[in-house]
Amino acid sequence: MSATLSCSRGREKSLAKWFTTLSPKEKAKIIKDVSQLVLARRTRMCNFLEYKGWRIVWRYEASADELTADSKIVYRRYASLFFIAGCNSTDNELITLEIVHRYVEQMDKYYGNVWTSYVILPLLQSWRIDQPQIFNFQKAYFILDELLLAGEMQESSKKNVLRVISAQDSIEDTEVDEEVTKIM
Amino acid sequence: MASSAAAGFLSRGSSGNNSNMRGLVQFIADLRNARARELEEKRINKELANIRQKFKDGSLSGYHKKKYVCKLLYIYILGWNVDFGHLEAVNLISANKYSEKQIGYLAMTLFLHESHELLHLVVNSIRKDLTDHNELFNCLALHAIANVGSREMGEALSGEVHRLLISPTSKAFVKKKAALTLLRLYRKSPDIVQPQWAERIISLMDDADMGVALSVTSLVMALAQNNPEQYKGSYVKAASRMKRILVDQEYAQDYLYYKVPCPWIQVKMLRLLQYFPPSEDTHVRELIRESLQKILNLALEMPKNVQQNNAQNAVLFEAINLIIHLDTEQALMKQISSRLGKFIQSRETNVRYLGLEAMTHLAARAETLDPIKQHQSIIIGSLKDRDISVRRKGLDLLYSMCDQTNAQPIVGELLQYLQNADFAIREEMVLKIAILTEKYATDIQWYVDISLRLIAMAGDHVSDEVWHRVIQIVTNNEELQVYAAQNILQYVKADHCHETLVKIGGYILGEFGHLIAEDKGCSPIEQFLALQGKLQGCSSSTRAIILSCFIKFVNLFPEIKPRLMYVFQAYSHTLDSELQQRACEYLALASLPTDDLLRTVCDEMPPFPERQSALLSRLHQKHGNTSDKRTWVVGGKDANTMEKNPGLKRAQSSNGGPHMNGSTNGTTNGTNGHAKGANDLAGLDMLDTGPSEPKTLIPNLASAAHLSPDWEIGYNKLLTKAEGILYEDGQIQIGVRSEYRGQMACVILYFSNKAPTAVSSFTTTLDLEPSEKENLSWEVKGLPESTIYTGAQSQQMIMFEAKKVFDKSPTIRISYIAGALQALTLKLPVNIHKFMDPAELTADDFFKRWKQIGGAPREAQRVFGVRGGRDGDREINESFIRRTVEGFRWGVLDGVDPNKKNLVGASVLHTAGGGKFGCLLRLEPNYGTQMIRLTIRATDDSVPPIIIKTMEDRLATGISTHLDMMEPPSHRDISDVFGSVLVT
Repeated sequence: MSATLSCSRGREKSLAKWFTTLSPKEKAKIIKDVSQLVLARRTRMCNFLEYKGWRIVWRYEASADELTADSKIVYRRYASLFFIAGCNSTDNELITLEIVHRYVEQMDKYYGNVWTSYVILPLLQSWRIDQPQIFNFQKAYFILDELLLAGEMQESSKKNVLRVISAQDSIEDTEVDEEVTKIM
Repeated sequence: MASSAAAGFLSRGSSGNNSNMRGLVQFIADLRNARARELEEKRINKELANIRQKFKDGSLSGYHKKKYVCKLLYIYILGWNVDFGHLEAVNLISANKYSEKQIGYLAMTLFLHESHELLHLVVNSIRKDLTDHNELFNCLALHAIANVGSREMGEALSGEVHRLLISPTSKAFVKKKAALTLLRLYRKSPDIVQPQWAERIISLMDDADMGVALSVTSLVMALAQNNPEQYKGSYVKAASRMKRILVDQEYAQDYLYYKVPCPWIQVKMLRLLQYFPPSEDTHVRELIRESLQKILNLALEMPKNVQQNNAQNAVLFEAINLIIHLDTEQALMKQISSRLGKFIQSRETNVRYLGLEAMTHLAARAETLDPIKQHQSIIIGSLKDRDISVRRKGLDLLYSMCDQTNAQPIVGELLQYLQNADFAIREEMVLKIAILTEKYATDIQWYVDISLRLIAMAGDHVSDEVWHRVIQIVTNNEELQVYAAQNILQYVKADHCHETLVKIGGYILGEFGHLIAEDKGCSPIEQFLALQGKLQGCSSSTRAIILSCFIKFVNLFPEIKPRLMYVFQAYSHTLDSELQQRACEYLALASLPTDDLLRTVCDEMPPFPERQSALLSRLHQKHGNTSDKRTWVVGGKDANTMEKNPGLKRAQSSNGGPHMNGSTNGTTNGTNGHAKGANDLAGLDMLDTGPSEPKTLIPNLASAAHLSPDWEIGYNKLLTKAEGILYEDGQIQIGVRSEYRGQMACVILYFSNKAPTAVSSFTTTLDLEPSEKENLSWEVKGLPESTIYTGAQSQQMIMFEAKKVFDKSPTIRISYIAGALQALTLKLPVNIHKFMDPAELTADDFFKRWKQIGGAPREAQRVFGVRGGRDGDREINESFIRRTVEGFRWGVLDGVDPNKKNLVGASVLHTAGGGKFGCLLRLEPNYGTQMIRLTIRATDDSVPPIIIKTMEDRLATGISTHLDMMEPPSHRDISDVFGSVLVT
């Protein structure tokens, strides 16, 4: 997988994670193109879309060769929110689709079932949130890092991912407590 | 709101709740309340100023730094520039506190890209975290490298990453991250993964932790694509793990994804198996077959749950791809072709899409297209699907399933679809139609009709290669020329004619216009007027072609020369320098007193050399290289095997003969505009193969060149025995039992774990010198267990067949993980003499045959003494010699040789290819001098030298003279012997 991003109808910001090195300009163009393509899709169409404009560039610097590869988009819609994964044209589409779902579930498990409106949306410039825990936007990245690394599925067990994230949380809590005590 | 940041600060800690970073929370809340863009901007600018000031003042505590970097991250995600904070952000990674470090690493991976200069500053911090005892720190560092690792970083840190991957003390959650980090670094620079790491990496595919196995498989997939030979061990690993997951249901409950056992690893392993040619080993094939059948059976159930359905189909379609790749599993193949027929009519769009894709794969491989052709109307219907993704797949499939029998209807459908096709795919469609039309044209009219109609319809989407190709084909096929000229003239005469057709018209009429000049409506002047009418509306390059056509007309139709001269004169003043030059040259050429030069220059064009179609190259360019290599390309079987296609000739037809005329091509620019075009017609480079892997010499660790120390002890003993211990050390004991029947041998290896802990990833690999492979073949009947518990034993059965006389014995590589990777390479005691059966002969028979065979070359003789000399501590005596000779499978014939001390023997050697060979032996010992003369004769001259060499080796070793000084029985011997009586 080369990238995941999520976007939503009528919004310009998205949470994106890139697994290939691209310039900000390239990234912006891809986000714009892909969002347009995906938002134009109707229901009951398939979840895969060829996207020729997106040439994934693997830079094999050793040989200074630039390899370009056909790519495709695998997307999934959750209410008004789209999750999009870009991958190679040779990648298994359905399993990529389920990576997306596993991420959604993982977030669900961590934030409770209201996370879609509370966690991702702040990154999409949605201004409707009051819960304090939503401000842990960085967690969305940490969870993704536990799930996917170098664009490949790293761990498919929900429990294992949650265990790591909870461990991180408790360390953070302890450290913050120490800090607070010190300042007090 | 104005004081929100400060308020957040002050309130931090004052309340009982320890929700961290109140300031950040307040800041985000403020932004949320900013209803207008300007307010947001104002708030952000204020915050940025604040942060800038804080960073400038310095002496911030780690906690505060973390908070400000978090704010910067948030601002960055909203799309603002926060460059000034990069340095502070990356400094956080050297913090001691985990939470601060974590934010530092997140900032680094979001703010910086792989070639950012700041990354140089953090390499040492990352290294420190990689070597830290805290595994969480290791993980943060691995994440950082996996996200922004560059080649430089790989060179500096790959050793540490590799260490974390293989270290016996690494926890599973570190190992899986290390594997994927290594994958990232490998993609950046393939040479950082060293060849000698291969065996260890492959063995990790057996890791009990599914996450590790999954990550390592991803890594191996990338490595195996580029170094299949080095990573061929992964084939068996993938096959057996697949079977363990699917058939033995060996997985933790956590890895069931909606009732599908870890679909990710299944998909990866099924794909990995497609990177290799099908295994020749029947046992491995059986493992794969079992798993595939299981997948097909499971898929018969149609789950309602979307996730389960997707995961199941993800595995199913990957399995179908593997079955198509294997191409040998007829039973499975039958099952999938009937299912594919259903898939392409499925109500689920995803399934239709994947069904069409799989069928395209099938068309690329299958011997016959019949199973696909029966669905032709449905496939054509898919061109009208409402989903562009499905239409594309339908197009690919139609293209691939085309052959002589169905080309006309398919091309007709494609042409019809082309008119309403999405712009995005028109160019590709045109290419495909053009290729099919050329490839399967059976009658000339059809080819010309379709090609011209295609260009007329889709002019703007016709790449140059397409019309160049039409000209090439027409030029090279004499029977097309008249028809093509007639038709193109009709197109050019029309009011609206696409410019590409004008180009073709200019060329074809210039070359072949005279062939139709007598026809009604095709007179020279009509041809001229048609082209002249298009001059005004065309681009410069087309006008150049028309001008070249006109100079050819001067040669062909002298009657209209004045009108042609008039055109040249007009164009000799044009501003376009290319056209002006042409016009002037043509004018001069036509005005020469004699037309000798004109005739030479304008002679008929020679046929184009036969070349790979540029169309195919163009199409394949579109499917450039991928990091994941395609195992097949869209297009029928011949596109995948690169066979020559039938269809229209690309060379000139025979009766015309080649019109060799150097000067025509020589005056390229002047006479015709196609010199460049002609070069373009040459097949451009086919599939770019990408960066070729540096061909390093890969050590084959299973080969005889890497035998472990002490391999000989057991091997030598087993040379004359059918069973015994082949190898033993503190951890493992390897026993052998063997049975020989004719040319067949059944060898069973027993592996006992003597170590105090279980060993895992137990792997065996057989090897034989390539030159011997046709002499001795084998079939592995089973694999040892992957994990052997302490005190337990596992076995492996191998059947050998002696095809011909062989010299070298096979070797076996045994590797396993007991903490670190342990590996042995041993020689198996499978030798040619083991395939001999002792024979009984009478004295008469023996001497008769002895004489019949005669001397060299069917005789070998050696004279040798005991190693270490007469006075060494080893000797040869009568019982030793007899035992050894019998061990070498000779029937010792008593009372045959007049000298009682001599030994003669006979045996029959069995091979599958060479049949049976009779072998005779005579051994003349001299116990006084401790010398032996050994003579062997056989009915084939390949036998004696090989057997005599092994026997000499063995006999010369002799036997210890201190036979009576037996070693005292070991504790184990005693307990073995008395095991039945002793009560312990």
